[in-house]
Amino acid sequence: MNENKYAKLEQQTSPKTPYLRNIVTAFITGGTICLIGQFVSLFYMTYFDFTERTSSNPTVATLIFIAMLLTGFGQYKKIGQFGGAGSAVPITGFGNAVVSAAIEHRSEGYVLGVGSNMFKLAGSVILFGVFSAFVVALIKTILVKFGVISW
Amino acid sequence: MEGMLIRKVLLLLLMLVLLSGCSNHGIRIHNDSADASKAEEILKKDQRLTSAVILFHEKDLLVGIDVDTFSRFHKKKIEKEIKKKLEKSYPDLTVTVSADRKMTIVLDKLIRKNEKDMGKKIDQLKSLLKEET
Repeated sequence: MNENKYAKLEQQTSPKTPYLRNIVTAFITGGTICLIGQFVSLFYMTYFDFTERTSSNPTVATLIFIAMLLTGFGQYKKIGQFGGAGSAVPITGFGNAVVSAAIEHRSEGYVLGVGSNMFKLAGSVILFGVFSAFVVALIKTILVKFGVISW
Repeated sequence: MEGMLIRKVLLLLLMLVLLSGCSNHGIRIHNDSADASKAEEILKKDQRLTSAVILFHEKDLLVGIDVDTFSRFHKKKIEKEIKKKLEKSYPDLTVTVSADRKMTIVLDKLIRKNEKDMGKKIDQLKSLLKEET
């Protein structure tokens, strides 16, 4: 059996990826998380002294806190199974990656276990997050210079 | 079982989203010093606004605006334009214009409650709007 033949066979036997379904569930899950975030943000604006600009920080902290609790109680993986990328892309997915890694390496001690393994998954998120923030800022600077949008 | 529950929750959320579209529109005005008709005219003419709140208090004119979805990218620019127009028609008032949601929330609250220490609340709001992250 050569390589091509094997690839063909593998394609025939493995189940088809339901792309459309995955996209729809990811859209709905990510949208729901962002909707909750919007409500949290509105809550901070209505009852505390935060404006639209400053309420983003406590909102992010609250969402990460909720994701942390859900991860600890084992509920976030169910959301992840249903939503896929929709649950991984928002900030809650980042929180989940940090906390689940910390839980996993708890038995190896606090310094060499939790401390060194906590950002195993989240490290790449930080790296590419910083990089993509740089790219987006670059694009926005150019657009502002051309007068398409304002700051 | 799990799928059913998720489906029910999603249906509920969808209904909430659809229903929340029915919120208040138009221009709300509270006036205790100057003539409001000019400000109303300026805000009504602007097609990019969905709603607005106007509050006159002693030497202050505060305007909270809601812009439509795609004009949100030009929020700062719209604020500046409206501020310029208002300052022209009310030269002896200090004009504050903001598209921030906080502005409309607080102004609506002030109008509804009609409090006595409005000046204090207004100063607080102004300093809040200057804050950066």
